Parts: sequence; C-alpha cells; structure tokens
Amino acid sequence: MTTLSNETSRVVRKRIWGAGEVKRHLAYLTMLLPGFIFLVVFAYTPLPAIIMAFKNYKLMMPPRDQWIQNPFVYSLLNSDWSGLKNFQFIFRSPDAAIFLRNTIGYNLLFMALGIVFAISVAVGINELRQRFMAKLYHTILFLPYFLSWIIITYVLYAFIAERGIVNKVMDALGLAHVSVYTMPRAWVFILPLANVWRYAGNNSIIYLATITGFDQELYEAAAIDGAGKWKQFRHITWPLLVPTIILLQILAVGRILNGDFDMFYSLPNGAGAVRNTTLTIDVYVYTALRTGQPLGLPSAAAFFQSCIGFLLVLTTNTVVRKVEPDMAMF
Amino acid sequence: MTTQAKAYTPSRKKFKNMNELSTTANLIVHVIFIAACLCCIVPLWIVVAASLTEEQTLVLEGYNLWPRKFSTMAYTFLFSSGGGGVLVAYKNTIIATLIGTCLCVMSVGLYAYPLSRTDFRYGRFFTFFSYFSMLFNAGTVAFYLLCSQILHINNSILALFLPQSFSAYWVIIMRTFYRSNVPDAVIESARIDGAGEWRTLLQIVCPLAVPGFATVALFAAVGVWNNFFNCLLLINDRKYFNLQYTIYEILRSVQALKEMASQQGGASSNAGISLANLPSESFRMAMAVVTMGPIVLAYPFFQRYFVKGLTIGAVKG
Repeated sequence: MTTLSNETSRVVRKRIWGAGEVKRHLAYLTMLLPGFIFLVVFAYTPLPAIIMAFKNYKLMMPPRDQWIQNPFVYSLLNSDWSGLKNFQFIFRSPDAAIFLRNTIGYNLLFMALGIVFAISVAVGINELRQRFMAKLYHTILFLPYFLSWIIITYVLYAFIAERGIVNKVMDALGLAHVSVYTMPRAWVFILPLANVWRYAGNNSIIYLATITGFDQELYEAAAIDGAGKWKQFRHITWPLLVPTIILLQILAVGRILNGDFDMFYSLPNGAGAVRNTTLTIDVYVYTALRTGQPLGLPSAAAFFQSCIGFLLVLTTNTVVRKVEPDMAMF
Repeated sequence: MTTQAKAYTPSRKKFKNMNELSTTANLIVHVIFIAACLCCIVPLWIVVAASLTEEQTLVLEGYNLWPRKFSTMAYTFLFSSGGGGVLVAYKNTIIATLIGTCLCVMSVGLYAYPLSRTDFRYGRFFTFFSYFSMLFNAGTVAFYLLCSQILHINNSILALFLPQSFSAYWVIIMRTFYRSNVPDAVIESARIDGAGEWRTLLQIVCPLAVPGFATVALFAAVGVWNNFFNCLLLINDRKYFNLQYTIYEILRSVQALKEMASQQGGASSNAGISLANLPSESFRMAMAVVTMGPIVLAYPFFQRYFVKGLTIGAVKG
C-alpha cells in the first residue's frame, strides 16, 4: 500500500515540477494571450488617462525632437495640473444635483423592481404545473432582453407619439391628448417600466436556476406541517435566495453611478423638455464630450463615477463579509 | 431529471401532487403569465402592424393592432433607394457581428480554460486581471481618447466590434461552465494518452463545452448587433454607420426631412417617391422591424442552448 502511494506521489510530483510542466504552462499562457492583449489594450491602457480629471487639458503639438510624437499623450503629460477645479466646476453646476439624483434614484428603483419582478417570475415559472407552458412563458418574457434600446425607443414611440396607442386610448375614453415627450413626470414611470419590461425575464433566470436547485424535501416537510405556498416562500425560498440576491446586488451597487446609457439617451428621443428626469451621469459625460467642453470636465465626472463605484463594491462587500462571510463576493 | 422522477416511490409521487399548486391558483398564475407575455409581444406586434400600414392611414388614424389598409410600400422604399443608408448599415452590422462574435468566443473560450484548470498556477493572477476590469474602468472619456487618439480605430468598422471582442463577465461564466461540464477524468485521460494542452482543449474539451460557447456566441452577437454607443461615440463617417445608429438617426431626422418637404412643396427625391408622401412613419417602423427581425427569428433556435449555458455557468459560480 505504502509503496504504491509513494510511487504515485512521486509520479505526480514529477509531473507537477518536471520539464513538461513548464511546457504545459506555456500552452496555457498562449491560450490566455488574446484575452490578455485585449485587457491590456482596452482595460489597462486607458487607466493613466484618468489623470486628465486633475489637469487643465489643452491639445498641444509635440515638438519634432520630442520622444513622444502622439499629440494626445504629449498634451496629457504636459498640460497644467488644476487640482480639483474640474470637480468643483461640475459639482457647482445646477446639472450636478439633477444627474446625481436621477442616476442614483433610478438605479435604486431598478434594483428594487428587479428583485421583485425577477423573483416573482422565477417563483411563478417554478410553480406552474404545465412545464411546457412555463418554458414557453419564460422564452417569451426573455425576448425583450435581446432588443436594443433603440428598438425599444421605436416601440415606445408607437405608444406615446402624437398618433400613438396612448392617445388612441385617450380618445376612446374621451380624454384630452397627452404629449409624453414634454411631460417630465411621465418619465419617472416610463423608464422603470421600460427597465422591467426589458430585464425581468433575463434577471429571473439566475433566480430560477437557484430555486430549482433547492432541496425539494424542505418543501415537502413544510407541506406536511401544513405550510401553504406563501409560508413556504416566506420561510424557505426567500431565506435560501438571499445569498444570490446579495451577490447580484453587490455588483449592482458598484454600478449605481453608471446606467444604461442607451436607455437614458435614446428613449426620450431627444426631447429637451424631459431633461430634468432623464439626465444621468453617463448622458452628461457624453454630452459634455460632444459639445466641445474642456475634456477635463467629462473626465472628472467619469473618474468620480468609476471611483465611487469601485469604493461602493469594496464597502458593500466588506460589510457583507462582516455580517455573513458566506455571502460576500470576494 | 426524468430518471430521478421515475425513481420516486409511489407514495412520494402522490405526496408531490399534494404540494402542487391548487387548480385555481395554477389557473391564476397562468393568467398572470399570459398577460405578461402579451405585454412583451403586443408592443412588438404593433410596430410590425404599423410598418405594414399604408402611410396616410397611419398618419390619419394612428397606430393599430391590425393594419387598416395594408401596404408594403415602406419595405419597397427601404430596399429600393438604399433607404437612408440602411443597406450599408446592414452590411456593416453583419460584418461586425460575424467577426466580433468569432473573436469574442475565441478569446473568452481560450482565456477561461486555463482559469478553470486547478493545475494552472497563475490562475489567481489572471482571474483577478480580468475581474478587475469589471470593477474599475477608466470611463467613457478615456475610452474615447484611447480609440480615437492612440488606436485610431474611430471612423472604421473596427470600432463596431473590436471593443467588444472580449468580456470579463463571460470569462467567469465560461470558467464555471468548463469546471462543471468537463470532468477532470476526461482531461486526465487525454493527457495520459499523450495529448498536449491545445489538443486536449480543441478535441476533447470543446465538444463538451458547446452549450457554453453557444451562449457566449449568442450574447456576443446580440451585443455587437445591438451596439449603439460605439457608433455614436466613434463614427462620423456614414460609410461605417451600423444599423442601430442609422435607425436612431432616422427616428429623429425623417421628421426633419418631412418638414423640409412640406416647405418646398414636395420636391421629388431620387427614389421617385415625392417627399410629400414619403412613407415616414411606416418607414420608421419598417426599419425597426428589419433591425430586430434577425434577432427575433434566431432567438427560438438558440434559446434551448443558452438557458442551459447560462444556468450551469451562473449558478455554481
């Protein structure tokens, strides 16, 4: 027995530390290469550019004898530092209050609605007796996720345009026409509605997979003890789902200052009247970038966005780990 | 699943029925789901119906569940005159989607495999290296400057797919998928038979990971097809516009075109359709239909793959 295990372990050790091992790692490393190059180029190369948030960026042409010939890199390195001026400028503008409120408010709302609707869908699908129908429903509910926000802008347009469905209904009810593109208040409902419409099916898939993985005996035992469906949900499904919910929310919290740019930018279809209820940081950054404002401003906003997001993920994760180590993400 | 169900003892099975929804409750849940599904389908149908409605009827009577007066003029216009660059945009989008999807599946599949192996010693570093890109990014401005000032991929078709040719999120899903769907024993035996890592991956692991690849491919393809932001941010040249951006532009500017036509008393366009009766509303809706068409049609075929890929990849992660 002992000799055999000794022999195996020697063989294993040989395989782990032998020359073949390096070669195998070489194979692994070449597999990583395409993704690695992508990450270096698209995720890590732009990182130094965040110093632009603290600079008064001006485009300058590098002199001939400079070792950096890229005008952008040269200007980035040689522009004057401006400290926190860019941040001050943004946060003193009246826009700041609007876009912060909108971004954070909508994201919190979306998170809450996301949990409620996704779990409802998942539980409902799981409980239905006709499995074929349940799958069919889920397939259909998942469909909107694959449509772009631009398409949804069109769909929405068919509803709320002057000759749209909403106004037809208003006609039928004998009410006055509404022009939603000029009603800021309406968007507080439209955006969450659109968000649920597009994401409920998709979000439910993880919950559904988690629920189907639960031990059925728990439910059977509860049923024997006379627990109805609601009690089973309240005392079995929900507590077991909490780790999944928290895991997903940690990621969502990190994106609280981001948002679906496409959604906030395209759904209002360029209607300036509803800017108050649809302007988010992303849209602000893009508009500032496009309207030729000094590049330091959108950089500062984007930097703020990234940093707060990162800090929020770390904080939430730390808090969760303190309270319930198993539920933390890392 | 089925074998497990069969293994249940009769009493268990009887009991299982007891914990099912009552017939009434089941019916109510059905009704709710049917209503929800209608909410998903009907809006799309309204767009399709509008695209098939004769323009004047659409303008006068508004949107309906059924075309009051059937006409395919919007589609004729769309495909005849190059309808506002739609065909060019279609070509760009298809090219970008094909290349982007291949690149994404390849890079994600390759990156995730070593991370799924317990014998890969640098796994932690490379996992973090990709994971960090999800937690912290340099933001839109840096991305814009990178693409336009350093890589110079703005105003080229590269801008439509290159930034999406990899995804840290799918690496995590794919890694879990490999771990749970490719048994160690299989890889071990391939190794004993003398297969190198590349050969093991391509000949043994890949066939087992098809649902995972299909999932990544589907989402990557949809991601590129639906991408709007890259085109908005990086492309000014009409030649390289993609579908989403083109139809977004048309939603805004057909109106302008129409206003112009009414001012000029209906000068004729090069399509031979006078601007005054340019099918603007139905045309727009036809654009939306041809843009979402491929996705909606392809979706049911992919669906059984991706649900499996998603659930296996996501849950155990």
